[in-house]
Amino acid sequence: MSVLQTWLVQALFIFLITGSIGVLLDPCGRINPESPVVQLGSNFTAVCVLKERCMDYFHVNANFIVWKMGHFTIPKEQYTIINRTAASVTLTDVTSLNIQLTCNILTFGQIEQNVYGITLISGLPPEKPKNLNCIVNEGKKMMCYWDPGRETYLETNFTLKSEWATEKFADCKTKRDTPTSCTVDYSPVYFVNMEVWVEAANALGKVTSDHINFDPVDKVKPNTPRNLSVSNSEELSSILKLTWINSNIKNVIRLKYDIQYRTKGASTWSQIPPEDTASTRSSFTVQDLKPFTEYVFRIRCMKEDGKGFWSDWSEEASGITYEDRPSNTPSFWYKIDPSHSHGHRSVQLMWKTLPPFEANGKILGYEVTLTRWKSRLQNYTVNDTKLTVNLTNDRYIVTLTARNAVGRSDASVLTIPACDFQGYLAESKCYLITVTPVYADGPGSPVSIKAYLKQAPPSKGPTVRTKKVGKNEAVLEWDQLPVDVQNGFIRNYTIFYRTNIGNETAVNVDSSHTEYTLSSLTSDTLYMVRMAAYTDEGGKDGPEFTFTTPKFAQGEIEAIVVPVCLAFLLTTLLGVLFCFNKRDLIKKHIWPNVPDPSKSHIAQWSPHTPPRHNFNPKDQMYSDGNFTDVSVVEIEANDKKSFPEDLKSLELFKKEKVSTEGHSSGIGGSSCMSSSRPSISSSDENESAQNTSSTVQYSTVVHSGYRHQVPSVQVFSRSESTQPLLDSEERPEDLQLVDNVDGGDGILPRQQYFKQNCSQQETSPDISHFERSNQVSSVNEEDFVRLKQQISGIPQSCGSGQMKMFQEVSAADAFGPDTEGQGERFKTAGMEAVLDEGMPKSYLPQTVRQGGYMPQ
Amino acid sequence: MKVLAAGVVPLLLVLHWKHGAGSPLPITPGNGTCATRHPCHSNLMNQIRNQLAQLNGSANALFILYYTAQGEPFPNNLDKLCGPNVTDFPPFHANGTEKAKLVELYRVIAYLGASLGNITRDQKLLNPSALSLHSKLNATADVLRGLLSNVLCRLCSKYHVAHVDVAYGPDTSGKDVFQKKKLGCQLLGKYKQVIAVVAQAF
Repeated sequence: MSVLQTWLVQALFIFLITGSIGVLLDPCGRINPESPVVQLGSNFTAVCVLKERCMDYFHVNANFIVWKMGHFTIPKEQYTIINRTAASVTLTDVTSLNIQLTCNILTFGQIEQNVYGITLISGLPPEKPKNLNCIVNEGKKMMCYWDPGRETYLETNFTLKSEWATEKFADCKTKRDTPTSCTVDYSPVYFVNMEVWVEAANALGKVTSDHINFDPVDKVKPNTPRNLSVSNSEELSSILKLTWINSNIKNVIRLKYDIQYRTKGASTWSQIPPEDTASTRSSFTVQDLKPFTEYVFRIRCMKEDGKGFWSDWSEEASGITYEDRPSNTPSFWYKIDPSHSHGHRSVQLMWKTLPPFEANGKILGYEVTLTRWKSRLQNYTVNDTKLTVNLTNDRYIVTLTARNAVGRSDASVLTIPACDFQGYLAESKCYLITVTPVYADGPGSPVSIKAYLKQAPPSKGPTVRTKKVGKNEAVLEWDQLPVDVQNGFIRNYTIFYRTNIGNETAVNVDSSHTEYTLSSLTSDTLYMVRMAAYTDEGGKDGPEFTFTTPKFAQGEIEAIVVPVCLAFLLTTLLGVLFCFNKRDLIKKHIWPNVPDPSKSHIAQWSPHTPPRHNFNPKDQMYSDGNFTDVSVVEIEANDKKSFPEDLKSLELFKKEKVSTEGHSSGIGGSSCMSSSRPSISSSDENESAQNTSSTVQYSTVVHSGYRHQVPSVQVFSRSESTQPLLDSEERPEDLQLVDNVDGGDGILPRQQYFKQNCSQQETSPDISHFERSNQVSSVNEEDFVRLKQQISGIPQSCGSGQMKMFQEVSAADAFGPDTEGQGERFKTAGMEAVLDEGMPKSYLPQTVRQGGYMPQ
Repeated sequence: MKVLAAGVVPLLLVLHWKHGAGSPLPITPGNGTCATRHPCHSNLMNQIRNQLAQLNGSANALFILYYTAQGEPFPNNLDKLCGPNVTDFPPFHANGTEKAKLVELYRVIAYLGASLGNITRDQKLLNPSALSLHSKLNATADVLRGLLSNVLCRLCSKYHVAHVDVAYGPDTSGKDVFQKKKLGCQLLGKYKQVIAVVAQAF
């Protein structure tokens, strides 16, 4: 019980304490919002709401509210009194990152008392992360990194999300110290594409980067090739072989390499051409190295196709190329001891050690040979770089070679003059004076100069010759004068050239040249040229040289001849083509087919001659060119046929008809049969040709004569000729067909035919005359039917549709619409068509065909 | 029921390989839908070939590593103990159509993945120090998982196959140590044999 009382007392105490503290801590008002985060540069409004208790206690209302930012009082203009208890303040363009905003009241009119305070945090929403990329360090987890964009001034969380097409992986959340990268906690699986993106979020927003989709194998950074070693070759002093061990990634992908090398001590690296190391390998031989030189190598690798990352560089490995024989001779000189005894002298020979790039190995020693004039050799092998020998006063030739493990250098030769040697310098002789400085550690670089004691003009002039001669120019060349004849320094050359009749021209040329081009020469001209060389003391002419410029420049003749030949060829070709195309015309005018009367005979002439049923158009076919200027006109007296009145221009035919009929009737009655058929002619070769094998029973043959000569006499004959005398011949079967047509329905084609030209022609009784004036052309049954079909399909009135049909049949282009005088135009047009085409595909044109009947 | 539970629970554990935890492994893509999280890559068949080559290249080493790690009598009795006598292994016909081969491959990989999960679990208990073997088993399982994803993608995107019935091997959790080792060895022997055929078939 006592325990319970104790508990109750304690509880009461705590309650009272808490309550009093609560009252004490209870503010007079509050600010809304309490923990605002606003975007930098934006406006912010806070509302302070006073409690009634305080208002009563302090005798204040919202009008007494004073807003402060830190210690700075915000101007009243930014306040808004909402009601008696609430007032707001608006901060415009918030630029401070952290603002302490307090709501205060002026108690008793002047005492400022704090009511409530908030901290305003400002910042920026996250920018979209950019440049997201991932790297898979071989044997490690994949790490992705990105550019987070601008500073947000707020705590911003970045989450890396990744997934396969079939499953999602756990998010990778960045650590606070590395907000721009994240290493996933799963092992990368190669050859499966994955999609990765980053999500950035803070209090002001959330944004997602672009998604990237890749195969992790394309993001691999392989482990560095290890155990790089270098070995040389005794056979070749210019190569070193590198070997290394590839990382295990080579079991999964193919690799390429980057190998760099440098000589030891050098700072810059040279690179092996990438194309030489573009495939998986574990060794490589580097070539073109200097002998006996230490090289340092390093290597790195990456996926063969260049996707991914280069590995780190391997540790450097060095190796020395094998020795080669010394590539140069040692610098070599001598010193004669002045205190020589009689007849002998002490000579010290000295030389420099070869630099490593010339020694090409370790110099094992030097070999010195001394040769006195016409004496035997004395050989010395020396390890040092000097040798002292006792020599006579004679002249000696000394040679020196350096030797290494591979071989000897070339010999360096030095002449030790005889003791009594005195220099004698001749004039006009070129001397090479060489001065070699001798330092404490050996000789320096010698300097040489050419000099003359005294110069003289050359003893011989240069010999000039032509190198190339053109139409207007010539290239001259010459050799430098030998030193022996120069007698001085050649300062310049002068070239003199002239024609036979012209003045001589001189051209100065610098002594360094050995060639000069003379320009502006005249073509086809003989030139004489000579050359002089000058020293400081004068000149000397060389021999004269002549050359002739050609008349034509190179290629000029070809440029003329070739086009002419081509033009001639073209003309000939065109001529041949023209003759080929116009062979019929030519044949007609030059060697026309003249019927051979000897092959003609009078066929048995009887109306009862059995018709020949030869409907094979192939048998009747003949070439139109075989049959020239022969026209057959069949005239019939069939007054039943209508005649187109508007074809009055064909009245001529009518007049001719009288005489023709007279002749025909005088020969045989079958002419009536022959002439009674509708005269449907066609220039179709098949149709014309079919008559050649038919026998003419009765016809009127009119020769137009040779070359348009009008025959004076018309010949009527009854012929069995199989010669192509006639343009068309009748056949009994055709006649029968025609008769049928003529007597009944067969008239329709003709009538329709004229309807096609003009409907008025139907009433003309002279249509038969017109038709008779057409060249007789027999058609086989098939052709006839075809024609009939074509014609019967034509409407009765003139129009464009009719024109179209005509185009199928004949030269209907010439046919105009139904107008008076159409016949005139028609005939003219038909004539033109004939002239143009020779054998028009028309009924009508044959009536006005060249060499036809009408001109008579 | 008990048997079923004994088989299913470890199976589910096996199916939830490492970083796939929490997401369903689409061994049997359900409901006839072929929805993928993002479009499948166009280079799938090439990737599948590379994965098979990768598996084929490491299968023998894994086999050797396994039986070596088991100690005697395994290394000297390979024919008896590690022969590829896995009776319920899914068939694979190398001369089928691409679709048929992919479906069969899907079954093979699903079977292998589950079995490899069992082996890995057992080996971590039986040979905890064989870290190299554990690593190799995990790496192989990862590749199989990736291969399964690619095959599913291909079946889904090209052939609209959303569901493939699969079968799994026997659960080894209730077996004794020797049987566990032996079954694992047989499975890896079979895996080595089959993966060579499969890699050749694609």
